[in-house]
Amino acid sequence: MTPASHSLQRRLLMLVLGVVASVWLATAVMTWFDARHELDELLDGHLAQAAAILVLQQGQELGDDNHGQGVDAPSLHRYAPKVAFQVFHEGRLAMRSANAPQQPMAGANKHFKAGFETVQIGGAAWRVFSAYGSENDVQVYVGEETHSRANILWAVLRSTLLPMAVALPLLALALWWAIHRSVAPIRLLGLTLARRRPDALDPLSLDGTPAEMAPMVDALNGLFQRIASLLESERRFTADASHELRTPIAAIRAQAQVALGETDEASRRQALHNTLEGCDRAIHLVDQLLTLSRLEASAVPVMAELDLSALVRQVVADVAPKAIGKGQSLELDAAEPVTMSGNMILLAVLVRNLVDNAVRYSPRAARIRVAVQHSNGQVTLRVEDSGPGLPEADRKRLGERFFRVPGTDEVGSGLGWSIARRIASVHHMTLQVDRSAELGGLAVLVNVTAQGAGRGN
Amino acid sequence: MRILLAEDDALLGDGLRAGLRQLGFQVDWVRDGEAAERELRAQPYTAAVLDLGLPRKDGLAVLAAIRQDHIATPVLVLTARDTVPERIRGLDTGADDYVVKPVDLHELAARLRALVRRAHGQPQECLTAQDVVLDPASRTVRQADVVVPLSTREFDLLQAFMLSAGRVLSREQLEQQLYSWGQEVDSNAIEVHIHNLRRKLGSQLIHTVRGVGYMLQRETPVA
Repeated sequence: MTPASHSLQRRLLMLVLGVVASVWLATAVMTWFDARHELDELLDGHLAQAAAILVLQQGQELGDDNHGQGVDAPSLHRYAPKVAFQVFHEGRLAMRSANAPQQPMAGANKHFKAGFETVQIGGAAWRVFSAYGSENDVQVYVGEETHSRANILWAVLRSTLLPMAVALPLLALALWWAIHRSVAPIRLLGLTLARRRPDALDPLSLDGTPAEMAPMVDALNGLFQRIASLLESERRFTADASHELRTPIAAIRAQAQVALGETDEASRRQALHNTLEGCDRAIHLVDQLLTLSRLEASAVPVMAELDLSALVRQVVADVAPKAIGKGQSLELDAAEPVTMSGNMILLAVLVRNLVDNAVRYSPRAARIRVAVQHSNGQVTLRVEDSGPGLPEADRKRLGERFFRVPGTDEVGSGLGWSIARRIASVHHMTLQVDRSAELGGLAVLVNVTAQGAGRGN
Repeated sequence: MRILLAEDDALLGDGLRAGLRQLGFQVDWVRDGEAAERELRAQPYTAAVLDLGLPRKDGLAVLAAIRQDHIATPVLVLTARDTVPERIRGLDTGADDYVVKPVDLHELAARLRALVRRAHGQPQECLTAQDVVLDPASRTVRQADVVVPLSTREFDLLQAFMLSAGRVLSREQLEQQLYSWGQEVDSNAIEVHIHNLRRKLGSQLIHTVRGVGYMLQRETPVA
C-alpha cells in the first residue's frame, strides 16, 4: 500500500481551523480600527472641551497679578500625569499643569496653529489640542499622552483575542471529533477493501453508506461484477478449449491404436485414414484458434480500398468444389463492383466462414445463394441456404466460442462464428442471422455502414 | 462384456468403439446425452464410458439422473475437463472412475475391467469358479492349469456367468450381455454356446434351471 500522503481528516481540520482563525483575526483587526477611531473621537472631544473650559476660565480669572510666574494645577487623578495643559498670555506661560513643559507643547516656536497635532515631548508621543483664548494674545494647549490611548485599545483588543486563544484549541478538538466521525464511512470502506481477499469478487455491502459515497460503492460493485463475469467467461473458455483441443488428439490416438491392433487390412487402412482426418481436423482447429487470438490481440488492422464483389467471387470459387461434391447448387449474385474500405485477408476469412458454414450445414442437393447488394449507400452481403435453419435459441448462441449446433454430424471448430463476429466488429459491420424467406433455411446478413462503402466506377 | 459408449465426437467415438472391440468388448455407441440415458435405463450394460460434453444432455446430468433412479451400472467418465474440482464433481455425482482425454485404449480397457470386477465384489483380476480360472485381461481360460481354447462368444458367456456366479440368468439377460446392436442373434445361440462350454469344461459347471435360465456354480458340488 502506498503511504497516505494526504490525510483527508487532517486536511479538513487544518482548513476549517485556518478559516475560523482568519475570520476571527479579521474581526479583531476591524474591531481594533473601529475602536481606535471611536476612542480618538471621544478623547479628542474631551481635549477640545478641556481647552474650551480653560479658555473660558482664563477669560474670567486670569489676573495681571499672576503674570510671569504661572500657576501649577494640582494632579487629581491617576490618569492626571498623562494629561497636561498650558495657558500662554502674550507669549508668556500664564498657567500649566504640573507635568506640562515650559515651552508650548505644540507649534514649537513656530506659528501658532489651532487644532489637533501629535508631537514628541520628552520621548513620548502626545496628542495636543491648541486653541486661542477669548483674545488672540492667549493660547491654550491641552495635551494627552497617546500611550494611554494605546492602553485602552489593547484592553479592547484583549477582550476579543483572549477568548479566541482559549477557544481555538477547544474548537480544534471538537472539529477533530466531528470530522473523524464524518469520514468514518470512508475509513470503513478502506478497511473493508484492505481486508478482502485479493480475488474476492462478491459485491461490497456497507452499513450506513452516505449518499456521497453510494456512487463510488456502486461503481466498485459494478466493476467487481464485470470482472467476475469476465473471469467466468475465461474459465468457460479454458474448459471448452481443453475439451476441443483434447478430443481431436484423443481421437487421433485412439484411431492410431486401433490401426496398430487391427489384423484386418481393410479395417487397418480405414483406421489410418481416420487418423489422418483427425490430424486435419486438429490443424483446422489450431488455425481457427490462432486466427481468433490474433484478432483479439491485434489493434485495428490495415484497411485499404477493395472490391467486395471480387472478393466474394474468389471465396465462392474456392468453396464451390465442396458444394459440388455434396450435390448442392451454389449461386453468386455480385455482378457490380462494390468498393469499400477493409482488410482483404480478414474479409476473405469472414466470407469464407459464412459460405463454408452454409455448405457444411446444409444437406445434399441444397440451394445456397450468396449476394452482394448495394442500395442507398448501404452494402449488404447475404448468404442464404435451403438447409434446416436454426431455432431461435441456437441462433442466439452462435458466436459463443466453441458453441456447435447440436445434432449435426459435421465437424467444425465451433470458432467460425466468433471469428466472423470479431472481423465484422473491427470493420464496423453488423452481422444478422435470420430465416431465409426465399430458401427456407438460414440467412446471414452482413451490413456495411455507408461511410465504408461506395459504388465502384 | 457389453459396454455403452457415449461420445459425441465422430472420430473419437469410432476409434474407441473399434479399439474396445479389438480388446474383447461388445460396444454400443450413442452420440448424445438423451440417447445415453435412454439406453442405460433400457439395458443392463456391464459398464458405460461417458463423455461429459454431450449435446442435448450433459454427461453429468445423465449420470445424476440414472443414479437417482438407482441404476448402478459402473460408469467411467471420459472427459477433457481435467481440473480437480471437475474430477471431484464427476466422482461425487456417481462416476466410478474419471479418465482425462486422451487415453490409451489398453488402459481404458483395464480400467473398465477393474470397474466391472469391483462392481461384482471381485478383488482379483482373474475370476475363479471350481477349478476354472478366467483371466479377462489376456482373455484366457484355464481348467486345472491347462489352457482351454474358447471362442469369443464362449469366453464372453463364461465371463458373464462367472461375474454372476450363484445367480440364475435368463436367456434374454445373457443375450443382452453378449450382443451389441446390429448383431444377429439366433434363437438358440445361447443354448449352442452353453452346450459347447459344457463340452469343453464339464457338465458340473453350468446348471439349467428349467423355465428360468442357467446358473454357474462357484463351488464344486459335494459328490
